[in-house]
Amino acid sequence: MAHVSVPMYWRTVPQRYGMVGQRCRKCDAVNFPPKGVCKYCNASSEFDEVKLSGKGKVHTFVLIGAGGAPPEFAEQEKAGGMYPVAIVELDEGPKVIGQIADVNPKDVKMGMPVSTELRKIYSEEGVIRYGFKFIPEELSR
Amino acid sequence: MSRLPVGISGYGVAVPRLRIKKDEYAKAWGSFQASGVAEKAVMGFDEDILTFATKVSKRALASVALEPGKVTRLALASTSAPYVEKVLSGTIVTGVGIPRGAFVSDHTTSSRAGTEAFMAGIEHVIANPSGYALVAVADAPKASMWSPIEHGLGAGAAGFVLSHDDLIAEFEGHAAYACEHFGERFRPRDEELIRDLNVKKFAQSSFMGATVKAASSLLKNIGTKPEDYAHVVIQQPDARLPRTIAKKLGFTDAHLASSSIAGELGDLGAASAPVGLAAALDAGKLGERILVISYGSGAASDAMSFKIVGDRKAVPGIRSELDRKHYIDYIQYLKLKGAIK
Repeated sequence: MAHVSVPMYWRTVPQRYGMVGQRCRKCDAVNFPPKGVCKYCNASSEFDEVKLSGKGKVHTFVLIGAGGAPPEFAEQEKAGGMYPVAIVELDEGPKVIGQIADVNPKDVKMGMPVSTELRKIYSEEGVIRYGFKFIPEELSR
Repeated sequence: MSRLPVGISGYGVAVPRLRIKKDEYAKAWGSFQASGVAEKAVMGFDEDILTFATKVSKRALASVALEPGKVTRLALASTSAPYVEKVLSGTIVTGVGIPRGAFVSDHTTSSRAGTEAFMAGIEHVIANPSGYALVAVADAPKASMWSPIEHGLGAGAAGFVLSHDDLIAEFEGHAAYACEHFGERFRPRDEELIRDLNVKKFAQSSFMGATVKAASSLLKNIGTKPEDYAHVVIQQPDARLPRTIAKKLGFTDAHLASSSIAGELGDLGAASAPVGLAAALDAGKLGERILVISYGSGAASDAMSFKIVGDRKAVPGIRSELDRKHYIDYIQYLKLKGAIK
């Protein structure tokens, strides 16, 4: 399992629960997840916090099934079956990776509008790790 | 004593997408034990009461167009929290963006916890006229697959914004009843699943006694009569018991129509009366009254009266949540409930 320690996960809670990203003070681009140095201009580490809408479009995706899930998602795949993982282009620009929930995997399409909601991602050391997943936009409000 | 009107400014409801039909139980066990429940909602592998409480909190705030930053009180309720010790509200505060200075409380020990949290919110806004209380109730009770009580257990959530501002339903009063009772729906420390000794008559007499007493004292206290109400919301462990209570109080099945959700969602535990209230608010018209009666084994009941004073409705409403569904079979259900590992 790709081990992420509890303190390390905790530091990412604002981005995982609340889609908190950063706007570069030099080039104005939005970084999500937050970075040490702006990945767009590579010239600034000064940012303003910005809360993203969580809305975006599926850029590309893959269906994980048939025992292909990494260990922390193996139980999810066994209990719930095949699940889609997508790269989503957010309305604010960044491309992020995340699962798509509440959807028949066969219905996922490139360009499909999605939005985020809080879900259980996986559990480790008895601690439930929550974070965003994408859901089809027509289901969200 | 006169005071500023308080009540519900906004609300939201959410139901998981997965459903199982009673036929699946009949195939597996030869019978289905929850009266009047045709199908019920089931949480997915990545859902729990905290993800649902977060969702209904956001929806309730959006229905009033209230910034989460305005919330001064959060009361969370559920009987099926993922942790027995840990401040559960912490997840909601961060997930929704509620100020960290808001006073939070977790209500978790009985299916009456939803109205208990609701009253904590009402007391807060009465004491703090400029405050906003958010009440989030989500539940998905769990029992052994061998227990008859398991058959009816469903899942759902509702959230409410309570304040003095821009009310859609004015709170008219509350009456409570509590007494010692045992053997029905309990969960000893160190056990994950609900037990029920299944002494039906004994359990039902407690349910009926507490709910009828709480509701009758409320009507007496505020001077209302059954004919003053258009909607009556009663705790729904199944679809039949509320009808018996309603009849005893002088109400008819028509009063229960708008809030009857157990037939499609199952027993929502602490969320039963709150989701029923949300459904009644969806259907309610200006000037109509709603009576809400909850029950928690052990035993206690809350009765609350509301008058509809605004016609703003939640989006999505209960109907669209009920219609968004995907059926699973009993084997998938067992896997999701962790009954086979």
